Parts: sequence; C-alpha cells; structure tokens
Amino acid sequence: MENLITPYIVLCLALTVITAPFLVFLLSLIVKKLAPFFSILSISTSFIASLILFLAVWQKQTFHFAFHWINIGYTKIDIGILLNDLSVIMLLLISFIALLVHIYSLEYMRTDPLKHRYFAYLSLFCFAMLSLVLADNLFVLYAFWELVGFASYLLIGFWFTKEKAVQANKKAMIMNRIGDIGFLIGILILLSHFHTLDIDLLFGTGDLISSSFVKGDSWISPFGIMPSYWLTIAGFCFFTGAIAKSAQFPLHTWLPDAMEGPTAVSSLIHAATMVAAGVFLLLRIAPLFNDVVLTSIAIIGLFTAFMAATIALTQNDIKKVLAFSTISQLGFMMLAVGIKDNSAAIFHLITHAFFKCLLFLAAGMVIHQLHHIKKEKALNFDEQNMQNMGGLLKLMPITGFVFLLAACALAGLPFTSGYLSKDAILVSVFEFADLKGGIFWLFPLFISITSWLTTFYIFRVVYLVFFGNFRLSKIVSIPKSSLNIHDPNPYMIIPVVILGIFCFGFFFAYNPFSLEISWVYKGFNAPSHQGGLYPILVPVYINIMSFAIIGATYLIYSKQTVKLNLQNSWMYKLSQNQWYFNTLYDVILMNIILFKAKAFYWFDSKVIDGFVHLASDLTLSISKIAAWFDTHIVDGLVNRVAALVVQIGVWLRSTQSGKLQHYFIWMLMLVLSFMIFKIVV
Amino acid sequence: MIPLQHFLFIGAALFSLGLFAVITRKNAIQILMGIELMLNASILNMVAFGRFDKIDNTGQIFGLFIIVLAAASVAIALVIIMNLYKRTKNIDPNKANSLNG
Repeated sequence: MENLITPYIVLCLALTVITAPFLVFLLSLIVKKLAPFFSILSISTSFIASLILFLAVWQKQTFHFAFHWINIGYTKIDIGILLNDLSVIMLLLISFIALLVHIYSLEYMRTDPLKHRYFAYLSLFCFAMLSLVLADNLFVLYAFWELVGFASYLLIGFWFTKEKAVQANKKAMIMNRIGDIGFLIGILILLSHFHTLDIDLLFGTGDLISSSFVKGDSWISPFGIMPSYWLTIAGFCFFTGAIAKSAQFPLHTWLPDAMEGPTAVSSLIHAATMVAAGVFLLLRIAPLFNDVVLTSIAIIGLFTAFMAATIALTQNDIKKVLAFSTISQLGFMMLAVGIKDNSAAIFHLITHAFFKCLLFLAAGMVIHQLHHIKKEKALNFDEQNMQNMGGLLKLMPITGFVFLLAACALAGLPFTSGYLSKDAILVSVFEFADLKGGIFWLFPLFISITSWLTTFYIFRVVYLVFFGNFRLSKIVSIPKSSLNIHDPNPYMIIPVVILGIFCFGFFFAYNPFSLEISWVYKGFNAPSHQGGLYPILVPVYINIMSFAIIGATYLIYSKQTVKLNLQNSWMYKLSQNQWYFNTLYDVILMNIILFKAKAFYWFDSKVIDGFVHLASDLTLSISKIAAWFDTHIVDGLVNRVAALVVQIGVWLRSTQSGKLQHYFIWMLMLVLSFMIFKIVV
Repeated sequence: MIPLQHFLFIGAALFSLGLFAVITRKNAIQILMGIELMLNASILNMVAFGRFDKIDNTGQIFGLFIIVLAAASVAIALVIIMNLYKRTKNIDPNKANSLNG
C-alpha cells in the first residue's frame, strides 16, 4: 500500500476529488434529466478518492504540489494543492456528508421542477468547498472562499419566487462581503510582508510566520520590517473573514435568514461544511495570531455561543432553533481556537458536522411530511412551526429516534460524540481560566451556562416535536388517523441512520469517556490534560446539570405539568426578537446608509449636476455665438459670393437678348469702340 | 468742281440713315432697305474716292461690283424673307426666334 501511493497518484486523486463535482455542475445544466444521477456518481467518486487520500496522508506525510500560475510584478503566485492532516480530514468529512445529503436530496427535491439546477448548484458548492480545503495558497483559498459564498447565495435563493428567500440570499451575500474585505486586507498584509501566500511556506514547513518576530515596535520578517501593530491588524482582518463566514457576532444575522433555502442545503452548507470554513481558515493560519487577537477570538466566540443559545430558547421555527444552535456551536469552536486548543476546535467541528447535519435532515423529514399533508389536504399552516407538531415519535419512529440521538450529541451526553468534543473545549476553557485567573473565570462560567442552555433548547425541540400530543390535528380539526404521517422512504432514512451511527462516541474513541484516546483529537497535537482534576470534574458537573435540565424540559414541554409564564418578561422578548440585532441593524445602519445616500444624492444633484449644468449652459451660449458667426459671417460670405456670381450672370445674360437688332447694336458698339481705341491710342 | 468733303458728308448721312433704319425698324423689308441705303452710301464713297484717285476708274469699278453684289444679296435676302413669311406669317426679325436655345 505504501509503495503504491506515489505523489503522482496522490495528485491525480486530489484532482479527481475536485473535478468530478465541477464537471457535473457543467453537465447538469445540459443533461437535465440525468443531473441527480451524475451528481451522486461524482460525489461518490470524490468520497472514494478522499478516503484513499485520507488513508495515504493521515498522520503519515504531507503532500504539497504547486504550479506556477501568475506574476504580479516580482511576486509569483502559485496554484496548488496542499494535503496535510487538516486537509484530508476535512476532505473526507465534506465529501461524506455531501454524499449523504445528495442521496437525501433525491427524495427531498423529487417533485421540484428545477431539480437539475438544484443538483448543479450543489455540485458547484461541493467543488468549491473541496477546492477550498485543498488550496495551498491564500490567494486560491480566497477565490474558493468567494465561490462557496456564491454557491450558498444561489442555494439560499433556490426558491427564488419566495420574496423572503431572495431577501435572505441578498443579506447573506452582503454580510459575507464585509468579512471578505477583511480577509482580502489580511492577505495583502501577508503578501507585502512575506512576498508569498503559500500556506505551507507561511505556516507549515517553511514556517515564515514563526521565523518572524516582534521586537520593540517592529515586526521583523526575513523580507522586511513593519510596525508591530500590523501583525495584530492582519490577525483581526483574517478573523473578520471568519466571523462573516462562520456567522459570529456581529455578522451572524445572515445565517438564521439563510434557512429559507431547502432544508438539505441548510444541513450541508449552513450547518456542516461552509460555515465551518471560517473555523477552518483560522486553524490553517493559527500561528499568525498574537495574544490580543486570540483573546478577541475567544471573547467573540464566547459571546456568540452564549447569545445564540439564549435566542434559540424561544424560537418557534424548528429550523431557526437549529440555525441559532449552529451559530452557538461555531462560537464554541471559535472559543477553542481563541484559547489555542486547535485540536478541540477541529474535533468539535467534525462531530458537530455529523450531529448538526443529522438534526437538520431529521427536521427536514418532519417538514417534508407536514408539507405533503398541507398540499394533500389543501390546508394552511406553517409546517416549520413547532407549535403545530408534537407526538411525532410514534408516527415517525426512525426520524424521532435519530433526532433524539443527535440532540443528545448536541447536549454532550455521555456515549455520544458531542460528549467528547464539547468537553474537550470545556476542559480547555477551565484550564485556560485557571492559568490566567481573575476576570478570565467568566469564560468557564458563561460557557457552562451556554452548555446548559444548549441542552435546554434542544430538548425543548425534542419534546415539542416528538413527545406530547399531536397538536396539528386539533389546530386544523382533522383526526390524527386521517393525517397520513409516517417515516419517509429509504432515500431519506438511510443517510440519517448513517449519520446517527456517527453520533456515537465510540466511533471517535474506543472508550467513549476518554477524550485523550480519541484519534481525531490526538491527531492534532492536542494539549495534554494530564494534570489537575478538570478532565474528570468538568464533564461530571456539566452532565449532572444537563440531566436535570432534560427532566425539567420534559415536565415543561412534554407533560406540561409545569407552566412557564415568561411570555411578557423582557428576557423572553429579548430572546424571541433575537436580541434585536436585526432591528438594530435596520434602524441604525439603514438610517446611516440612507442618510449617507441622501447626502450623496444632494451632493450629486446640486453640486455635481450644478457643475454639469453650468458647463452645459456655457457650452450652449458659446455654441449660439458660434452658430451666429457661422450663419452670418461664414455662410454670409459664401452666399454673398454666390449672389455676386448670380448678379454677374444675370447682367451678362441680359446681353444675350435673342433680338437681332440688339446684337447689331452690340456689333456696332464694338466696332466703334475699336475705332475709338485706335484713334485714342 | 464739287469738293470731296460734300460727297463724304452725303455718304455719311446716307449711311447713318441706313443704320438708323436697320436698328429701329420692325419690318424685315425696311431693314433690308436700310442695308441698301448703307451699301449705296459706301458706293457713293467709292465713286467719290475713285474721282480723286490717281489711278483711273478703280473706285467706279468697285462701285459696279458692289451694286452687283448688293443686287445678289438683296435677291437672297428677299427669298429668305418670303420663306420666313410663309412659315410664320410674320416678317418681324425679332419674332423669328425658333432657333433660340
């Protein structure tokens, strides 16, 4: 096996991984009928190639292929592929989840008339995302970063006849542009300081970042000296890019709106893969960040995790809850990056991708079934509102069971993957606080609260949707028996069951209570947790509280023995209205932008147009003078000459009168004048 | 003996009358008569000069030639006028303008 894997084969495989979806993107728009078949074929190819690459590269060696692409001045930019542990595990994750989502989509989009376009966009996304992971160079990475954003834009607005979907994809696009500017500036700072954008050279084997250092006020690299604040600025710029892509505060508002897209898309792009690209970027360039930036990342991550979890508590739209849950979990990952526990961040990224994708797919199955009923019976209700659900576990047992499993993983209960990855972050946060002391104890405090809030909101969803009474039959007053709700067909069941298997902890570590032996965690130079009691105590106290919360939610939402009357409290309203961020942005930013636009409009219409009008008036008067000059002087001269010629002609013509005697007189006068001339001279 | 000047005065007077007739008349016959007057004035001059010439009778012979030529030209002119009249019932030369471009 070892001998078989030559660099040439690796390169071919890597190219296969990315070209297969791209070809399908092109083909799907031509061969419309076969688009689903081709997409599944291509993503399977990608998955198999990724698997081989993973086996060849993981923990063994790093492959780096670079080909010269363009020159900008003296700067050469390469295009190439970098395969290291981080790339291959992301590659495997993305292609695997994408494959499952493709299969799921077959059923989910079966009746959609624009199915071929859906699969084309999905393939475009897979191409861009896989290439982003493989890119060896920040410039190429940036290009694919934009392309995944574009594919996400297309898919959010896939149902383009829905006004809300169109608004949502515009919002996502604009929010992401803000982050992209940061990313671009960061790239330019690195380019000017290191004269290369090669990730391997900068952060890997070349290790240019580590060879640069801050001395006094200057940041010294092998190529030059910059004031030291540029290091911080560069860190913040890249972080801005990650904030927008991973929907962190303050640019998080696009993600909940992005739920207007098909649910399968939400699960693949807006839960499992694309939004994790921000975290992936931070992991790729992690050596760049200094303490200031890292602390900021940690604070933003913590705040986002907490804020999104509180918002998720009261949302009634099942997809909105999951969206805020995604934001919250991405906050966890950011926090892990911020406290330098990169292995926990990527571990959580991977486990989160599985269980969050599963949550979305299962929610999609429920929505799909209710949507069918709605169409069949011509009813009018919101199929995403959890108040219309309830008791679905009996009707859709498989769906309910996998959803419950994923919810346990999200809550971080024992035996699940979430238990390992989330507790890895929590333990690191406790150790971080212990090391720093003082105000940093707020970190473990808030992250514990967030963790319990997570348990609360996800079990609220579980109980509202799958337990208790089926409320819809009362709302639309049709008996439960005549509403045909059941588990969907195998196209949907098989992917969620496979994802469900990956929610178990033993897949990641043979002892599901031991984080240390988890192969993913170990693979990334995890910090050692040997010392101290935290690795033992933290999971215990988090989980005891979690079980208590699960019991509480059961009483509140399933049995409804405990009534919570918080509807009018300010906290409920704050949460329900998503902390008023949308309103805030609408009121403040919109007004600023509108005011600016009006000011520019005034400036345009008065000053610039004024100038233009003045100039045009001036030109008009000058041209009037010129016209007068033309008609009277130039034309006048010409006309006068012509008139003179006419005059002369008329006068000369009068001699040719046609009368015999006149000619005679002329002859006579001529003869006489000759004679007079002769006499005089 | 009548001096030469008298002949010349008479000739000039005749010539002028003929010229006047040619210029002013509307009748082709009258114009023809004016031409004849002018010819006769020149014949008179010829004869008068021949009287005072050293060589004998040259002027008179010229006069005879002119008389003959005048008779011939009058004959032709009259024929033209006759034909003109036949075509147009008119002998005003100013109205014979069918060749006018």
